[in-house]
Order: sequence, then C-alpha cells, then structure tokens
Amino acid sequence: MSAEKAAGVTVALDVMGAERGSEAVAEGVRAAVADGISVRAFGLAEALEPLLAIDGVETVQAADWIGNDVEPAATVRAKPEASIVLAAADVAAGRSQAIVSAGSTGATMAAATFALKRLQGVRRPALAIQLPVPGGEGAATVLLDGGANTEVRALDLVQFGFLGSAFCQAVLGVEAPRVGLLSVGEEDKKGTPTVIEAHAALASAEGIDFIGNVEGRDLLARQADVIVTDGFTGNVALKTIEGTARAVADAVRQAARSGPVSALGGLLLRPALGGLREQLNPDNTGGAILLGLRGVAIVGHGSSGPDGIANAIRLGEHTVRERAVERTAELLERAGATRGSLRDN
Amino acid sequence: MAVSREEVMEKVREHLASELEVPVGDISGSTRFREDLDADSLDLYELVMELEDTYGIKVSEEEASRIETVDNAVDFVAAQIPA
Repeated sequence: MSAEKAAGVTVALDVMGAERGSEAVAEGVRAAVADGISVRAFGLAEALEPLLAIDGVETVQAADWIGNDVEPAATVRAKPEASIVLAAADVAAGRSQAIVSAGSTGATMAAATFALKRLQGVRRPALAIQLPVPGGEGAATVLLDGGANTEVRALDLVQFGFLGSAFCQAVLGVEAPRVGLLSVGEEDKKGTPTVIEAHAALASAEGIDFIGNVEGRDLLARQADVIVTDGFTGNVALKTIEGTARAVADAVRQAARSGPVSALGGLLLRPALGGLREQLNPDNTGGAILLGLRGVAIVGHGSSGPDGIANAIRLGEHTVRERAVERTAELLERAGATRGSLRDN
Repeated sequence: MAVSREEVMEKVREHLASELEVPVGDISGSTRFREDLDADSLDLYELVMELEDTYGIKVSEEEASRIETVDNAVDFVAAQIPA
C-alpha cells in the first residue's frame, strides 16, 4: 500500500489490553504509519511511551482503561475516561475515522456501538471474521456473527447476510458475494425455527446472492463468500477451527519426529508447511470488524503481534477508504432490509 | 435548562420512531418498550444515553432498569431537570 493511497485517513487506536505488550503495538503502528496512515493512540501514559517518537502518531493520554473481566456495556458508561471510550468518541467527533483495538472485544463493541450508533434500520451489529482459508486464491470467507449476539432473530440473520455481502464487495472486492446460512443440513427446512425462517426470508430477498444453507464442513471449503450464523454458533465454530488447526499442526509435528524417515519427510515438507502456516496466521487478516454501525470499528486479535496490529490498522483505513459503511447503508435501504421494512414484510 | 414534560415526551417519541422505525403516532406515554415496540436492551441503552446527552442528566444502571414505558422515561427526565 503506498503512502499516497493511505493519505488522509486517521485511525484511533486503543493501545491497552494487547496481550503482547506495548512494544509489539509500537512496532505494528510503525509499519502502518509507514504506509501513510495517521494514528491517534489512546492509552495510559506508560503504554503510550514506546509510541512517542513515531512520526505520524499523536498520543492521547487516558486516565483509565477497560479489561476483559467486567460487564462491558455498564463499564463503558461508567468510565468515560477509559482509553477505548475516548478512542470511540474521537471517531464520533470526526477527528479520526476508524476505531482499532487489540484489547477487550466486549468493551470495544460497546464503546463503538454507543459512540458511533447503529446504521439506520440495523437491529444488531455483528462481528465479522475473515476466515483464513487454506489453499487456493481469492478473498477470505467472511463469517458473521463471530460473537456479538449470542441470541438472534431471523430478522438479524437476514441483516447479517446483507452486512456481510456489502463488506465483502466493498472491502474484499468480491463482485457478487455468495451468501450461505450455517445450518445442520442443506435442505431449506433443516435447522432451528429461527434458521428456517431466516432461510425463507433470505431466499426471497433481492440484492444478495443467497445460495442456501451451508454446513460446518463448508466453513473452509470456499462454498460461500459470506457465512451467516448467530454469535454463539459463530464463536464456537471459530474456536473449533482454531483448536482443530492447532491439534492437527501438533500431530503433524509429532509424526514428523517419530523416526528418521519421517524426519526427512518433515524436512522436505517444511517450506510448504511454512507457507500454509502463513496462510492460516490470523495476524494476516487484521482482526474482526463490527458491521452495522455508522462508523468503522476493528477488533484485533488479543494475541496480535506487530503484523496483526499493523494489519488491523490497515483494515480500518481500507474500510474507510472503500466507503464500506456508506455502501452497506445503501444496500440495506435499496434491498428493503432495514428493521422496519423486514418487520412489515 | 428549562424543559417541559411535553418537550421531553416529544424527544422520546421522535427518537424511538426513528431508531425503531415505527410510526411516531404509535408511541404514547403508556407504550411499553419491550412488549409494544419490540425494543431490546441495546435500544434502551441508546435511548438513555440520548437523554443523558440532551438534558445533561445521569441515569444509573439501576434507574435505567426500572424504565419500562415511555412515561417512565419522560417522568424520570422531568424529575431530574428544572421545569
């Protein structure tokens, strides 16, 4: 990404809560500002220290911050001086254009939702995750909801389909994203009553390419560009993928060490496996994005290293530049997929 | 800030009509947020924060949890600001 391309977008970064510490955050920020992205960094004084000497970074000292061990919505309201609340307010005030955080997911979602507000007609914002699909070319598969809403209505699932489709078009460059609904069978009557109702509504919806139900085994099979589900199922699916990938990687490593011939095979495979590991590295996708708001909010991985931080900032910048929020609002309105329209139908 | 109860009522009705996409004529003092308007906790949080910002008041979590109807919200705000 050239400096010229990124000029003009400022990202509000909450530096608190990153598991790998402020030095890793600083390294990621340094890489992002080298692309020409401006960063306003929010945090406690000691966490901002490594960022002070970086050109293109403005630091804003916060008096407080919010961790993972509290009820997010109430805490965001009770701590107006917390770093994530200040970062969200910065975007709402127009001083910056996207929130990025590698800290508490819940606090980021609450602060972003309260400060930026939901898009007109959106009932529930959803967390969209770009699944790192191994092998092949093309954009990642977008899974939503990744955990923002453990319980949903059919109306929400329909809106998630539109939100994901608009994001996929605007940010990932997929011209006509295929939208699938996660269920326990391909037939339209398979699933919970909510899923069956959502299937019927999506099948008759205009403005998106709904391909029907997809199953868990299809998550990494490029069957769909967007996969829609509730936040409970989505989060379980995501963690299952992560855990399975780790277990398989460990098993391969152990098998490769089980004898001299295996070790030789392992050595020969090492370059290919290294490339695969790189494809599956969550740091490459830049984290999750909260869709359905009137602004851009990115939730980085808690364990993000410098690359993850840099890519989360770049994702925020890219989402702003591609006018994803505006294009999402237009799609929802044009397709009659706003809350009022869907309720009336 | 001198604000009449009627003005607060109008503010609440306009906010709810816009955010929930329901006709403003369907919202009266006795309207219940959850049962009649299908509003959820996020909708109520946003209403409370809108009222806090507009009228410079503070609503605690406990107070917010007791707001069940449009009248409850309007009465709460009216009691916090001088008439």
